[in-house]
Amino acid sequence: MKKIILILLITITLTGCAGYKELNNLSIVTAVAFDKKEDNYELSFLIANSPKAQTSSKEGEAKTTVYSSEGKTIAEAAKKIEQIVPKELYLGHINVVIISEDIAKEGFLKIADWLIRNPQTRKKFYLLEAKDVSAKNILKIVSPLESFPSQSIATLIESNSESKAVATSVTYSNFISQILEEGIEPVLPSITIKGSVKKGSNEKNLETTEPDTFLALGPLAIFKNDKLKGFTKEEESWAINIIKNEAKETNTNVKYKNEDISIEASNLKSKIKIKDTQNIEINISGTGNIYNINNIDIEDYKEIEKIEKAWNKELKEKLNKTIKKIQEKYKSDIFGFGNKIYKQDPKTWEKIKKNWNDVYFPNLNVKINTNLNINKTGSLNKTIKGEKS
Amino acid sequence: MEKIEKNAKKIVQKVKTLYGNSPDVNSRIINIKGKNVGIIFLESSAQASTVSDFIIKGTLYTKENKNIFQNIFEALKNNLFNSQLFIINDFNEFPYYLSSGFTIITVDDSDKAIVMETRAQLDRGVTESSSEPILRGSKDSFTESHSKNLGLIRKRIKDPNLWFDELKLGRRTKTRISIAYINGIADPQKFKKIKERLNKIDIDGVLDSGNIRDYLIKQKSIFPQIHSTERPDVVSQALLEGKIVIFVENCPFTLILPTVFIDYLHTSEDEYQKAGNITFTRVLRVIALIITVFTPAIYIAITTYDQNTIPDKLLISLAIQREGVPFPTTFEIILLTAIFEILRESDIRSPNSMSAAMSIVGALVLGQAAVDAGIVSPITVIVVAFTSICSLIFTDIDFMNGIRAWRFIFILAASFLGIIGILSFAIIWLIKLASLENLNTSFLAPFAPFYKEEQLNTIYHAEEDKLITRPKYISTLNPHRQRRTK
Repeated sequence: MKKIILILLITITLTGCAGYKELNNLSIVTAVAFDKKEDNYELSFLIANSPKAQTSSKEGEAKTTVYSSEGKTIAEAAKKIEQIVPKELYLGHINVVIISEDIAKEGFLKIADWLIRNPQTRKKFYLLEAKDVSAKNILKIVSPLESFPSQSIATLIESNSESKAVATSVTYSNFISQILEEGIEPVLPSITIKGSVKKGSNEKNLETTEPDTFLALGPLAIFKNDKLKGFTKEEESWAINIIKNEAKETNTNVKYKNEDISIEASNLKSKIKIKDTQNIEINISGTGNIYNINNIDIEDYKEIEKIEKAWNKELKEKLNKTIKKIQEKYKSDIFGFGNKIYKQDPKTWEKIKKNWNDVYFPNLNVKINTNLNINKTGSLNKTIKGEKS
Repeated sequence: MEKIEKNAKKIVQKVKTLYGNSPDVNSRIINIKGKNVGIIFLESSAQASTVSDFIIKGTLYTKENKNIFQNIFEALKNNLFNSQLFIINDFNEFPYYLSSGFTIITVDDSDKAIVMETRAQLDRGVTESSSEPILRGSKDSFTESHSKNLGLIRKRIKDPNLWFDELKLGRRTKTRISIAYINGIADPQKFKKIKERLNKIDIDGVLDSGNIRDYLIKQKSIFPQIHSTERPDVVSQALLEGKIVIFVENCPFTLILPTVFIDYLHTSEDEYQKAGNITFTRVLRVIALIITVFTPAIYIAITTYDQNTIPDKLLISLAIQREGVPFPTTFEIILLTAIFEILRESDIRSPNSMSAAMSIVGALVLGQAAVDAGIVSPITVIVVAFTSICSLIFTDIDFMNGIRAWRFIFILAASFLGIIGILSFAIIWLIKLASLENLNTSFLAPFAPFYKEEQLNTIYHAEEDKLITRPKYISTLNPHRQRRTK
């Protein structure tokens, strides 16, 4: 018994209460924004558990609080925030990190270093690029459907990347690994504000049936190394996601016989085949479901086959166009072709590694094969007009 | 041994002196042909009408009988109407029989005495079990009457191999203790050990089976290692499994030996209901056991040390709930748990008429008002209430209290060391449980040591026709309980 007491005493006194934190003494940070103000960094924290959240029904009062501060380094800015926040900052539940264009152009690794060195942060938050607005402002926008801005951004990304293929969900850890890996350049989804920031940060924004201000996901931001090179167009981001095998389902339009037919593509799969350092083949397969059609008699099997052909052709063209643009304009291998070569033939990769992005990648011959089949026509076998006759 | 005097009058006087002239010592002297017949009984424990109807009448009949026998003692012995009649020749046995409600008849010139059963009905009838209620199964329970209790078992097991071994314990109480077992199934080694341990007891009084329980255990533990029940069907089931049951006079609670941990998760109903459903119920009981031991500790550990493990939205809502609560989480939990334990204790002790008032005070005043006043956070109330409800699943009060003690240990471990504390103390707990052993049966059997064949009736309950053997860790004699049928 004496031994047991001794062991207990030792364990208790040695460990102390080092990790002991009461929940009500914590300020839970759920989102972080990084901006650049002249020479200084501006760091903003979104704190979710302000006591105001309990009485959120009060008019014109935001549930969450945004604190921000400037500093020569990010650590300095963080320290300054600690001085104004009365409770201990808790970074373990960061959901979303938003970086401004300025910082992205300057290079992301400075921020990454602070995020990774901090033992509290977990490495699985979504990373977004603020387009046209400052990152701090994005934290301020309240959403009518989710209680916390950070949560609304996270769900926006999750639902978009799964089904709409416009944005990809990029977590911090896979962004970093894309920076560090050979032969692949990272992309980030961008986010922007539609409407005025002032109205959007007020809780009144929630009370109208049509919110004045809301957050919207924008096109993909293309990086080279850790620096922002530019934004794609929406259609291009869509193509990039298909090639990178990140979109499983998406909605596509096909022009056929002067009509825009809407086809829901599903089970999309993309396989990249390396022939040699100059030639690359991409095979894309998937199935389609006609969602919207008006004038064409689709009871005729041959018509569907023709639509199918047109669909394949159009998709191929779009993808080719996108790849060309990225090869010529950005010279950044965001598709990871180089990575495939590295994995297949590391010795050759060693030789071409240095000039890959500037010489080899832009001159790559990319051949796209598509194998898309339309196997469903929704709940109707004919068009509505066809049903009548 | 003290010889009985050959003078009835003197014996009567001696008994009266022995009892300090207590008024309930009744006696009557009847003279038959110049010889005194002394009749002694205790008015308090004997039925006076039985004494008059059968003994006084019988004696007087003998007196008027013309064909009088030379030996009045023999005549009385043969002519009195009674099913229980003994001859004793030791004066020291007098008090035992008198206090048990017997009547003693002595005759001049005889150094023997006739003892006849004239007991008064001092105990209640067979009633429904109040401490172990069930939905399906027999409703009767043991009473304070020793012979009734034994009868409730005999009624169920008609095999003559059901043996009762009786001994008397307690220098002053002279309590009858019966060790029941089925000869040929129960392990004789275990029976011998139990009897040895019981024989070593020298105590002034045994009032309840709880008095002798500690003598039957070798290792100390907060968990009871002997199951105690007041249900005859549970006892019969145990006897058929080869266990040994101890009955104590004046106590409705029997002791079943040896007991293993899993017995506390079983109820007698399990054998009577559909096997598949019982498996599900038992899984629930195991979950309840884990919840009731660990939940408060885990709550403390994850909210004060490992906040990372809580989902975002839950963490925020927990943090907001704790806003304004003045006490640390550990203190909050201990406070509420202690309040619940006090409520439970006072609910048991208070008369029925007061329990309604108490539940109102407990639920409304302590629960609702404490939250509203900001003394505790709502989530703590939920955690403690959930834990407490889960602990009520177990019927054995000693087992429940054992769990309670460990719950507090885990709460303290979690508040000092977090999840690591819970884990290390869980290991200590397992080691302590696994090291328990009584009558060569390990407390964690059939899991540790693992018996593959016994897993059919542990947490998983096989259909009745699949349960061919008796548990091997209890007795290896006569292993088959039924013939394999096709």
